[in-house]
Amino acid sequence: MFLRVRFHGRGGQGAKTASRILGNAAFGDGYNAQDFPVYGAERRGAPVTAFTRFSDSEITERGFIFSPDVVAVMDDSLVADQSANPFAGLRKGGLAIVNTTRPAAEVNGGRDDVTVLTLDLTRQALDVLGKAVLSASIAAAVARSAGISAEAFVDGLVDELKEVGLSDDLISKNVTMAEAVYDELKPVKLRTEELPAKAELVPFTVVVSGGGSEDIVNTGNSASRRTGNWRITRPVIDYLKCTDCMICYAYCPESAMSVRADGRVAIDYDNCKGCMICQTECPPRAIGSSTEDGR
Amino acid sequence: MKPELMTGNRAAASAARLARVDYVPAYPITPQTEIIETIAYWVREGTMDSKFVQLESEHSMMTAAGAASLAGARVFTATSSQGLLYAMEMLYNVSGWRAPMVLANVSRALAAPIVLEPDHNDVLAARDSGFLQFHSETCQEVADLVLLAYRVAEDRRVMLPAIVNLDGFYLSFTREKVVLPEQAEVDVFLPPYDPPHPIRATSPVAKGSAVMEGHLYSYFRYNMHAAALRAKEVFNEAARDYQGHFGRAYGPVDGYRLEDADYVLTMSNSFTTLGRQAVNRMREQGVKAGLLKLRMVRPFPSEEVAALLRGRKAAAVFDQNLSPGMGGVFYPEVAASLYHLKDRPETLLPVVGGLGGKQLTADEMCKVFETMRAVGKGAAKPDPMFLMRADELARAKKALATAGVQG
Amino acid sequence: MSTTTKFRTLKDMPKEDYIAPGNTLCAGCGGALAMRIFHKVLGPNLAWVNAAGCMTIATSYPLAPLKSNWLYTAFASAPAGAQGLRDGLDVLMAKGKLRRSEDLKVVVVTGDGAAYDIGFQSTAGAIQRGLDFYYLCYDNEAYGNTGFQMSSSTPYGSSSKTTPATAAFPYGNTDTKKDLFEAWRALKAPYIATLSNSHGVDFLRKVEKGGTAKGPKLYIDFAACPTGWGFDPKQSIEVEKLAVQTGAWPLKEAVDGVVKHTYVPGAFSPVRNYLRTQERYEHLFKPVERPEAIATIQKSVNDYWAKAAAEEGLKVRLAEG
Repeated sequence: MFLRVRFHGRGGQGAKTASRILGNAAFGDGYNAQDFPVYGAERRGAPVTAFTRFSDSEITERGFIFSPDVVAVMDDSLVADQSANPFAGLRKGGLAIVNTTRPAAEVNGGRDDVTVLTLDLTRQALDVLGKAVLSASIAAAVARSAGISAEAFVDGLVDELKEVGLSDDLISKNVTMAEAVYDELKPVKLRTEELPAKAELVPFTVVVSGGGSEDIVNTGNSASRRTGNWRITRPVIDYLKCTDCMICYAYCPESAMSVRADGRVAIDYDNCKGCMICQTECPPRAIGSSTEDGR
Repeated sequence: MKPELMTGNRAAASAARLARVDYVPAYPITPQTEIIETIAYWVREGTMDSKFVQLESEHSMMTAAGAASLAGARVFTATSSQGLLYAMEMLYNVSGWRAPMVLANVSRALAAPIVLEPDHNDVLAARDSGFLQFHSETCQEVADLVLLAYRVAEDRRVMLPAIVNLDGFYLSFTREKVVLPEQAEVDVFLPPYDPPHPIRATSPVAKGSAVMEGHLYSYFRYNMHAAALRAKEVFNEAARDYQGHFGRAYGPVDGYRLEDADYVLTMSNSFTTLGRQAVNRMREQGVKAGLLKLRMVRPFPSEEVAALLRGRKAAAVFDQNLSPGMGGVFYPEVAASLYHLKDRPETLLPVVGGLGGKQLTADEMCKVFETMRAVGKGAAKPDPMFLMRADELARAKKALATAGVQG
Repeated sequence: MSTTTKFRTLKDMPKEDYIAPGNTLCAGCGGALAMRIFHKVLGPNLAWVNAAGCMTIATSYPLAPLKSNWLYTAFASAPAGAQGLRDGLDVLMAKGKLRRSEDLKVVVVTGDGAAYDIGFQSTAGAIQRGLDFYYLCYDNEAYGNTGFQMSSSTPYGSSSKTTPATAAFPYGNTDTKKDLFEAWRALKAPYIATLSNSHGVDFLRKVEKGGTAKGPKLYIDFAACPTGWGFDPKQSIEVEKLAVQTGAWPLKEAVDGVVKHTYVPGAFSPVRNYLRTQERYEHLFKPVERPEAIATIQKSVNDYWAKAAAEEGLKVRLAEG
């Protein structure tokens, strides 16, 4: 038994914590375990990756998991995100656990050689915790699928949440939420096969045949990052109530608002991160909100 | 120009003026001070058309130097020893920015204990920084290498900053004959600095951006390495041109009496003069002695070292520096250059000496040749030599006794 | 220094954006907003010089949010980078090698870690030399980029990763915040101002006004940090507003060393109303309230304003201590 799990989340959803809960749980169940997050430049809302390995023998791997047995996708917008690419390298016969309200066929990353398990963890987290923090529930889904015992899982969960500094009240809510997920699922028998991969090395002379400094001449090109994907809540302007006071425009940290030719403010949904300052600050309360997926 | 007596420091300052540098950020440290004092005076008397600014530290000085270079200014500065180490973080940044400024480092050994005289632990601490390094033996070489350094550093195939090293005291404060090039000729040799993407209002650019992924970082570092390697051929080109203009020939290394030499001493910087003297003495005794001087230290002239040391009976590497727990810094670099040669010297003798400016006599240098000869073919790995004369050790012991400490 | 202004209301904020969307900063970032507004006032031709901090990773190769020039230097020496850039441009223009139309305003942008701590020496040098530059410090009162460790800007009573509130240390940080405004004033910069994004017109006018001075123009922006301070990003402006209304973050300027408060709350709200909004002060309220610590903070606010009132002849209605 050697399982490699790769968590894909957005900053703030708890991917790192999930990887540690699973690490604790597997370790508590007697496995050798290893967990590890990747830190990038990114912040709240941006793609985050974390890893857990566990095995009944010594773990001789380290670092990024290129060929996971299981991927846990905490936000379905990541499936199509080039920088996250959660299905990359997922082993044939592997398991993808996707937090979504969409059907599995829409979130399988185009892979018909893997099992896709869909769960609506966001709804549940909003109901139980009041915010979309999914570390406990996604870890529960993976732990149960992998056959980790309930006792080891709950112990591992509580230890980690204590370590993170959560209040007893929040810990118990998380346990309730996670147990509901755990109880709903069954262990999955996985027989996985690594995808053929070929590491083709490029000669040094080819690598260095042109590059120089790391200047960026195309300044102002960051809109292609599409930070609109980070958004959980969407601000919506009611133009009938809007008085064109420009306060929302003034306070947008993202330059994601513009003034149209007709003098009215418009929101750039490709880039708005959904901080919702505009809604809070709008004097006539002309900005409402909706959740991204209509939940 | 007619020959004149000048210090190494003045030679460095003079070359900077001949290079028509635009900007000189500075911070004083012994034994570099004469360089920045001279430039400051010239700027204030109007004989040097540059902006001179004294910063509040070498770290700031190097930051300002790199930033001005990115603005499109030709930049010169100078430091030494602790100052170079204080600026060290910025050396890596400035080379990463691909800002081709030139820094004169006046070598001085590093504290603690604090000392004013030279060894090369300071400049070799910058060995891996991405700065090109050219080390001088004479005051003439200081002036010539500063001009060559600009030509190589600013070449579009290179675009890396450079250090010209001169030993504190033995060059910095030593006056000897220097022939400065004519300004008009220098202007032909050294075209104006024209970087590809200077910081500008009409063509903005982001520089020094975070690169958060290892493969991208590797790409830029590999390219920096390639640029540093290319600097050798660019140097050779520039040196040929320099010789055409000014008559003096320079290569990445210098050979002295190497034609038929069996025993070769490899060394760098001002004490090389003492090495030459020892070669002559050994020759007088019938020993086929020779010397290999490292002038270019980054890029390291591996091919030249290999070509000139192959087939010799023995070679020694004289390191005026010490990496505690390893030995001299040049020794493994020379050894690596020879490793794949079937006809490499049987013996490669490590020698450490001259730390903190410890004086060297020709006798001591001759002992190095004698040791090379004594280590016969097929002998075990030679013991490293750490030069210290008996009279010096006696003085050291006496000092320790005075300090009240057991030696 | 000019006293006229083109900024009457937030509607007067210039509509050109010089920072493109798509940076990697947290949603609701006060520092990002400060940079955006600052840039609008100063116009397109800027060279930003940055020290290590949150803003550093906002430009992550190959994507650059700023349409203007950007140079990341190092943690300690952004003002020296500004010196080199300013001097480089000046000398090239003086020598006729660069057209005047290529000239740039040089703006240092750093967090409080660089401004208050590691870059303080470099800043002092640039001010003393009279360097003609702007300095925008987005002050989130800790090392936010590395996960919120205390800096010398961290206020009394705030917890941080290196001053956590524990049973033995129930107040979190017990050092007082360094008074950077006064330290800069001692160095005799011609224009120094504090800013809060929540008071946008005050912000716009100060950047406009500073721009008429030659030499160092220094700004400390109160940059709400949802991630480090622990509040919902949508409260970013509200939290800043509360800091100003309670008097915890005074809005002021120093023109040639003469200090003037540019906004005085009509009636000061008790500082606890501000503290309560953030998790970094949560230990002062839960599990048991720490009235003595809250009183200490209230007293320092009241003492500050009593002194300011005496010096400037202000009428202040302070909150109960």
